[in-house]
Amino acid sequence: MSAIAQATSPLARLATALAGLPGGPAWAAWRGAALERLVAAGLPTPRDDAWKYTNLRLLGRRDLSPAPPRPLAASALADLPAIAGPRLVFVDGRYHAGLSAARLPHGCTFTPFAARFAAEAPAALGATLAGDAALADERVRTLNASLAADGPSLVLAPGARPDEPVHLVHVASGGGAYPRTRVELGAGAALELLEYHLTAGGAEAFVAAAGDFRLAAGAALVHSSLQVAGERTILLDDASVVLAAGARYAHRLVALGGQLTRLDLRVALAGPGARAELAGVFFPDGSREQHLRTLVEHRARETVSDQLYRGVASGRGRGSYDGKVIVHPGAFKTESRQSSRNLLLGRESAIESRPQLEINADDVKCSHGATTGTLDEQMLFYLLARGLDRDTARALLTYAFVGDVLRRLAPDALRRAAEARVLGRLPAAELLREFVA
Amino acid sequence: MSDIHKGSVILEIRGLAVEVQGRRILDGLDLTVCAGEVHAIMGPNGAGKSTLSQVLAGRPDYVVTAGTVRYLGEDLLALAAEERARRGLFLGFQYPVEIPGVNNVYLLKAALNARRRQQGLPEVDAFEFLGLVRDKMRLMQMDEGFLSRGVNEGFSGGEKKRNEILQMTVLEPTLAILDETDSGLDIDALKVVAHGVNGLRRDDRAIVLVTHYQRLLDHIVPDQVHVLAGGRILKSGDRSLALELERRGYDWVRAEAAAA
Repeated sequence: MSAIAQATSPLARLATALAGLPGGPAWAAWRGAALERLVAAGLPTPRDDAWKYTNLRLLGRRDLSPAPPRPLAASALADLPAIAGPRLVFVDGRYHAGLSAARLPHGCTFTPFAARFAAEAPAALGATLAGDAALADERVRTLNASLAADGPSLVLAPGARPDEPVHLVHVASGGGAYPRTRVELGAGAALELLEYHLTAGGAEAFVAAAGDFRLAAGAALVHSSLQVAGERTILLDDASVVLAAGARYAHRLVALGGQLTRLDLRVALAGPGARAELAGVFFPDGSREQHLRTLVEHRARETVSDQLYRGVASGRGRGSYDGKVIVHPGAFKTESRQSSRNLLLGRESAIESRPQLEINADDVKCSHGATTGTLDEQMLFYLLARGLDRDTARALLTYAFVGDVLRRLAPDALRRAAEARVLGRLPAAELLREFVA
Repeated sequence: MSDIHKGSVILEIRGLAVEVQGRRILDGLDLTVCAGEVHAIMGPNGAGKSTLSQVLAGRPDYVVTAGTVRYLGEDLLALAAEERARRGLFLGFQYPVEIPGVNNVYLLKAALNARRRQQGLPEVDAFEFLGLVRDKMRLMQMDEGFLSRGVNEGFSGGEKKRNEILQMTVLEPTLAILDETDSGLDIDALKVVAHGVNGLRRDDRAIVLVTHYQRLLDHIVPDQVHVLAGGRILKSGDRSLALELERRGYDWVRAEAAAA
């Protein structure tokens, strides 16, 4: 049996789950059609170039059907960093009003997607949801669209600039979850969005999340994602960002958890002068797999993109950074930087890194660099020669390796929370605390 | 360190042979350094001066194939690099490495406390330490900005060397080995560095200066001068030997040794 056929069977089983989803018969038909296209195409495999480093064969043994609504204790959220701002909580992809603190700032409107499915026809809304299943790298979007029952739909009015970040908390409690996110920023609006992915208890969970982020002219979005999913969670997250003229987008990823996780981050710099700054760290340890794919498209002149990713693998951890930048015709005077550096701490650790650049315009400045290696022996010897013990020295250098990215995290409370969690991952964490006090 | 007094043996090297990547660099080196002394080890490029410094500090990829090294009566070669440092052996690096993201001052505090733990002394807290390091920075004419920077991050060559000496003055080693500390320094920086080193001369401490030129020795006057060439000490003498080397170069020493 081929790998595709093996991977397809769990998808086919999902057809029975469609009946329980919100919206009328028109939505049921729309979802059924999307799922059929996906079943026909099959899940992506490493033979699809965009999935070269991610193998989804694990899915063949998992129950992907949407989790039934179940109660969740507030203690499941106890580990969230204490950061001010309204909080919207989604359990297995469904809005949970009881755990949310949804006093949204002036100019910010939240509508649960469940309500939109009930009120809007698939002809209009559907077009914004489904990816093109024929494109291997959009099949997670299609899977999400087929099964999404709910999720946050946020609109920020033109010029609105809330003081506090808005928190989107995604909790998986076991089984399948298909949260759908849409965030629209009006012209000149500015928002800090903090997204969390976690798992309640040690549940075996599968999450296929998809999000759309639309920034009107001059809008600014700082989108931080703290991924601390459980050891038996498979998390596929697909975010698509479109920036109009002069808009600014920053994405920060701190990926610490999960059994197998992947983020697909697509950014289209569609208007002149739009800028995107993407940074992240990932820490595949144990037998964890963490993958990251970015696709940045410079579609207009004078656009800027900057990518800074650091991966640290230990044990039998595996990971990848697969980043593609496309400069389209006419996107002159664009600037693009890509930096991917990876550290392998174990003999069986592996991280693949593939920065790619496709330039179809003149007068552009593009650079990319990728390295994968072990700890620098000269640095290590210097620290030992100053009396530090080997474990501390190694952990310190590992921590310093991701420092560039962690320092970019805002607000400070998020940075500190992320630093504490990264430290918790390192040997000799206690010894390191004085260095980062 | 009260048991160390002027004249007690701090370092005793006998017949040391070292290979680096399969090449023999040191070949039967003997050297004795006593408390209260400043020794200068001079020699042509490639003589093995840096290899000696690094092997004494415990660099793991340098392989000792023969000989013994005793430090304060202990077998130095049996100790890991960090254990040597904690026992008061300090190497001032020829090329101090930049470690972005590791704070210069936290490293120094950790280094000092590692040493103090070994000595059975209480650790210094952040407040005490800051006072101490500020004093030493004034001595080394270093800017306050050094406090918040990464280890040697973006430092000029001269700043890196000053930082090494700053570390030495804070750590107060029993044996300081300064590897080409004078290279890349302008005359003003050289004077500051020399002033820092001279301030550390004490009866219970020894300093080994590894240098290519005698110019440093105008400012730090050594008790003994050794010529290292071909992997061993070929000749030892007092300050005047350094001046003679400056005038005549190294070839005559090699010729003399070959004839002997």
